[in-house]
Amino acid sequence: MRTPLSSGLAAASLGLLLLGLAARTWQIVLLALPPIIVLAIGSIAPPARPRLAVVRSLSRERTDSGHDVDVELLVRNEGASLDLVEIADVLPRELVVVRGTHHAVVSLEEGGSLRLAYTIRPAVKGDFVLGPVRARSFDPLALGSQDAVVDLRSPLVVAPPMEDLRRATLQPRRTRPWFGQVPSRRIGAGTDFWGVREYVAGDEVRRINWKASARLEGLFTNEYEGERSGDVVLVVDARRDSFVGTEADNPIEHAVRAALAIADRVLAAKNRVGLIVQREVIDWVPLAFGRKQLYRILDHLVHVKPGGDWRFSHAGLVLSRFFPRDCLIVLITPLQDRDALGAVVGLAALGYDVAILSPSSLEIERRLRADAGVDTMAYQILAMERANLVTQLRRVAQVVDWDPATPLALALRRMGTWPRPA
Amino acid sequence: MASSRVTAPALRFAPTALLIVLEAWVAWDLVSIADRRWAAGLSVLFAVNLAAMALARMARRRWPRWIGLVALGSTYVVAHSFALGIQLTAALAFLSLMIVQVEIRILAERFAPLFVDTLSPIQRKQISGALLRALFRLAVAAILSVGLPLLAADLATAGVFPVTTIPTALLLSAGLVAVVLMVALLPTLERRDRGKA
Repeated sequence: MRTPLSSGLAAASLGLLLLGLAARTWQIVLLALPPIIVLAIGSIAPPARPRLAVVRSLSRERTDSGHDVDVELLVRNEGASLDLVEIADVLPRELVVVRGTHHAVVSLEEGGSLRLAYTIRPAVKGDFVLGPVRARSFDPLALGSQDAVVDLRSPLVVAPPMEDLRRATLQPRRTRPWFGQVPSRRIGAGTDFWGVREYVAGDEVRRINWKASARLEGLFTNEYEGERSGDVVLVVDARRDSFVGTEADNPIEHAVRAALAIADRVLAAKNRVGLIVQREVIDWVPLAFGRKQLYRILDHLVHVKPGGDWRFSHAGLVLSRFFPRDCLIVLITPLQDRDALGAVVGLAALGYDVAILSPSSLEIERRLRADAGVDTMAYQILAMERANLVTQLRRVAQVVDWDPATPLALALRRMGTWPRPA
Repeated sequence: MASSRVTAPALRFAPTALLIVLEAWVAWDLVSIADRRWAAGLSVLFAVNLAAMALARMARRRWPRWIGLVALGSTYVVAHSFALGIQLTAALAFLSLMIVQVEIRILAERFAPLFVDTLSPIQRKQISGALLRALFRLAVAAILSVGLPLLAADLATAGVFPVTTIPTALLLSAGLVAVVLMVALLPTLERRDRGKA
């Protein structure tokens, strides 16, 4: 590749030649020679094209955001000797190098090798690719360079951080026939006392209520409230409109983090969980139980990026076609548009039980801006509008207005059992 | 561990020293111009050069440095072409010094901060060797860029080679155009070859 210096020398030479001819001065014509001589000497031994064999190894291929990953790059020169070669392992900008270097300028003899070790820390979740490795061999006179790209790519999946919601009580209001941990308001196998009935042959002895039996002169058995499981569908609003803030601090990132934490908590309580994500496309994960389902949901959440100009109500179409009516819908949305109100009213009218978790884009934006009089006034007006919207939504659904700077568990704990029993 | 530095302090400060020499040279030439109109006009060009160099240093940008160098070279060439008269040896030395200054600045930038934290003694030796080879080539280029035109001038003034004729000028022009074309077209041809491969 030609450098600006070689072009500059050629231009200077041409300029001096033309000036010499115009001025009819042979001395100026001779002045055109030095740049040409330097160019000629530079072209005698151009830099060799790098021929490199590269091996990259990662300490782990799946990690959480904020956790370090060690990378080792072994570069071996399989071509001619390279006087000065710049080697760079191309990284996505979301990955920050915290130790070592992914970039080196060295001399590599034929067969020589170089080891680059560095540690990266992903700032946000995502599906990243490390590589390719780029190399540039320099000409000693800086008149040219030779580039080479080694197409070596290593995938790195970064999951969002998992919030601890063990103390938050999250459960669907309506239950399904399967055993679980949600009180079902039906007699069954459970631990909460429901009532007393006459003893029937076959009842367990430990369930006999001896006090009632003594008082009423007959055997009576305790009955308990059955614990069943329910269905929860998480709807994550990742539309372009919902993106406010920075790459690491925006409602969509926080919504993904919250969705994963809620899914983990609800699945651990033996409920079924499904997922709908509104992004460039509307994708969904059908309802299912267990740890595998958590990984399925995680795989979908890792790929969430802001995109799409859907109306919020489009999620309702997927819900009505692919999910049962008696499930709890948890909408995770920053409530950027008033279309949300209509959509939630529509879902409630269809019989869905709706709860809303809203990471406040207003608080995110406020943190990003310096405190100024005008901003404070604007914040107050917007906060009032948001409070109005939340009040209207609370008529048909339970709403948690969440400032993402505070832990999600705290916001949910303030609400007590969420959503509240009907 | 602090990043290794391979460049000797002399190489690091050489570009600035050479630039000061070139600026002083041109300033001295401007002072010795008797015609006030030429002196005033060229002083403006020289001031542009100084301003661009100062801007390049402060803003750490490349384009003001290029503008400054072009203004400096133009001041020298125009001053000697139209006001002072050309002394061939001095002019060739000035031009070569300018090229050497640019080359040394690039070398110093390239070899100064090595982005690996630790360098093994072997790598350090290899890089020092590469630097020495680059400096040697630069020295050869500088000597030839002064010597060859002087030799050509000697041959021309001795009447061995008819310099002042139109065919000679056309021949030189054709040679230069060929070199410029080569410099301009080589990268394109290389890219095509790479595409075919």
